[in-house]
Amino acid sequence: MTELFVLDRALILDRLGGDEEIFLLMVDLYLQDVDNNAQALGEALVQGKAEVLMREAHSIKGLLATLSDDAGAAEAATIEQQAKLGKLSGLQPAVALVQRRLFEVASVLRAETASAG
Amino acid sequence: MNTVLIIDDSEINLTLIKALVLKLGDCTPVLFDNPLRALDWCRDHVPDLVIVDYMMPDMDGLQFISAFRALHGRTEIPVLMVTANDQKEVRYEALLGGANDFLTKPIDRVEFSARARNMLSLRIGQKFLADRAAHLAVLVDEQTKEIRDREKELIFRMSRAAEFRDPETGAHIQRMAYYSQIIAKGLGLDEKTQKLILEAAPMHDVGKIGIPDYILLKPGKLTYEEFEVMKGHAKLGHELLKGSTSEILKAAADIAISHHEKYDGSGYPHGLVGTKIPLFGRIVAVADVFDALTSERPYKKAWSLDDASRFLEEGRGLHFDPMCVEAFLACWDEALVIRQRFKDEEVPMI
Repeated sequence: MTELFVLDRALILDRLGGDEEIFLLMVDLYLQDVDNNAQALGEALVQGKAEVLMREAHSIKGLLATLSDDAGAAEAATIEQQAKLGKLSGLQPAVALVQRRLFEVASVLRAETASAG
Repeated sequence: MNTVLIIDDSEINLTLIKALVLKLGDCTPVLFDNPLRALDWCRDHVPDLVIVDYMMPDMDGLQFISAFRALHGRTEIPVLMVTANDQKEVRYEALLGGANDFLTKPIDRVEFSARARNMLSLRIGQKFLADRAAHLAVLVDEQTKEIRDREKELIFRMSRAAEFRDPETGAHIQRMAYYSQIIAKGLGLDEKTQKLILEAAPMHDVGKIGIPDYILLKPGKLTYEEFEVMKGHAKLGHELLKGSTSEILKAAADIAISHHEKYDGSGYPHGLVGTKIPLFGRIVAVADVFDALTSERPYKKAWSLDDASRFLEEGRGLHFDPMCVEAFLACWDEALVIRQRFKDEEVPMI
């Protein structure tokens, strides 16, 4: 995953039926939870809990997909699949990548809300 | 107002779906981030639509649907399952497990609204049908009661028809029917059976319709031949009443043919002995004879209660079933109340 996250506001809003209020609510919730999500993903890997890792990766996949980050969602999906197979070794780079992506998306969203506000 | 239950362990999804549900209008969302707690809630509440995520800790969406469907009265409630695009196998499994439709993540408002509205329409249809079924059940009950009431009225009128040709009074019919009920109760028969004998006993002498007036209304003692004709009323009554599907008429037919049988086998028309005589016949025999004895007629004075009860006691095992006599005498006070309640207004003149 080399490409940077670009917020496609129009696409997201289109999916939300043009509802700005729901969009801002989602952004707000994302920003509130991003630290916990990143931390939970990392901890699951460190503790070797495949099922927890699979679930956390699944949640993040959905979260990023909701923000139309297909590349980030695809990376989270890879972790989810590997964890489902119980293959945790070698996942550290992927987990770190997704964690960075979560923060990258958060920073774009903060900038977006700051400029909007 | 529709209650929409939303279960997702992700707060952002819960909030998003809640917002979308509120946009539907006329909906109250109920949120749970834990499927087990949602299931607890469902034990006491009936949602109109369930929106459940697939992947959750403790219990996944498939397990939730299965447990939800197992709750009483929850088999028809629409369930939408939220899955990712790549979870085709899960979707198949969910369909087999009781989900009605799916929502794909990331959730699209247009798709969400259409599917949720479809499911809610389905639910409204279900409620309408349930209300209609309940309404129809009430109507059927009313109609059935009307038919039953009409059946009872016809039976009463039929008994009256026989009575018009008989010196017995209307009050006799009512008293002996209630005495029969008292005996049935004393024998420990259930309430339904007590009611059945109360309703069927009045027709015990309906066969007298077929007895010629010169015999039926003869003021003096009948000759042997006349009495033989008179005895035919038991069979005539049975012929009139038998073959019906009505419980009351079936019981009445049994009573008509057996209420002149005697416990020792000396009765008519078949000379049945003991418990070979139908129970209703044995009961009505006691009730009918007791009332006939204690009633005044143009051709006889009424017996005293003491004499009549003594007659019943002396007839135990001979004329009467001892158990029926015992049951009647044990409820003596109740019998006296009936006697007081249904008095002969006038002794018909022959």
